[in-house]
Amino acid sequence: MATQQPTQNNEDPQAQQPAPSSASTQPTEISENNIYVSLTHSPLDYTSTIDRVRSPEAGAIVIFAGTTRNNFNNLPVQHLSYTSYAPLALRTMLTICRSMVSKHGLKGIAMVHRLGVVPIGEESILIAVSSPHRQAAWRAGEEALEECKEKVEVWKREEFGGEEGGVWRANRDGKIGVRVDKARIGGGDGRGEKEEEVKP
Amino acid sequence: MSAPRPPKGHFNILYFASASSHTGKDMEALPAPLPLRKLFDILEDRYRGIQETVLDHCLVTINLSYVDMPSSEDEDGEENAVVIQEGDEVAIIPPVSSG
Repeated sequence: MATQQPTQNNEDPQAQQPAPSSASTQPTEISENNIYVSLTHSPLDYTSTIDRVRSPEAGAIVIFAGTTRNNFNNLPVQHLSYTSYAPLALRTMLTICRSMVSKHGLKGIAMVHRLGVVPIGEESILIAVSSPHRQAAWRAGEEALEECKEKVEVWKREEFGGEEGGVWRANRDGKIGVRVDKARIGGGDGRGEKEEEVKP
Repeated sequence: MSAPRPPKGHFNILYFASASSHTGKDMEALPAPLPLRKLFDILEDRYRGIQETVLDHCLVTINLSYVDMPSSEDEDGEENAVVIQEGDEVAIIPPVSSG
């Protein structure tokens, strides 16, 4: 692996905003050689993410930004929020990044996912990769995202507002997911409550 | 999520996304030891309907490692059956939706 500065810390997103109490005792980022993975409740920052993968040996940096859409199959989405199983999600992100580095000969890769409410139109994920030549960077960027969407233990909830309530999305089957009745939250034993699939 | 230590003789189980919505909880402590193959039956007893609407679509981890869920009728391989131990952290992992 190339020797570069993997842990530049000129702008630590975690430092700007206290993490919610449920996450406060856990690491929310892992740095390893030329790999950086992170989960954060703060807005994502392009420059600091790109700087994580910058290398004198790289001739290309590709960055992908996933942004939150205002509809699902034309159903208006009021807002979205993400939750995660942080220790496992970070571990899975690290495994994906290691695999991308060795498969595509990357000089660096950074994968950052935002948690909590993400306002419509803002970035929910950034993936930056660097490589000596552009082809590998394009490929690795795409593959890293697909792997992430398939495997990383993060869940998106879309709120439709009004009677529609919210649904937990599932990337796997492309369906809209399972409707969540607000009354059920905190309901305890789950008896007498029905869960139905929302037809798109 | 950071789970507190489970009480003596218990393990923690974490619920995410649809599992959290169905149970109304992020986590709870259940009595240990518990054979893994009995886990879904225990949850179905506590949360009627969870097997079909949630658990059938979920994976399970123990201490951050995915485990194969044996069928509850499966009495084969009793010797090698996975048993959830006191202090373990079990998680119900619904289909993910990052990105």
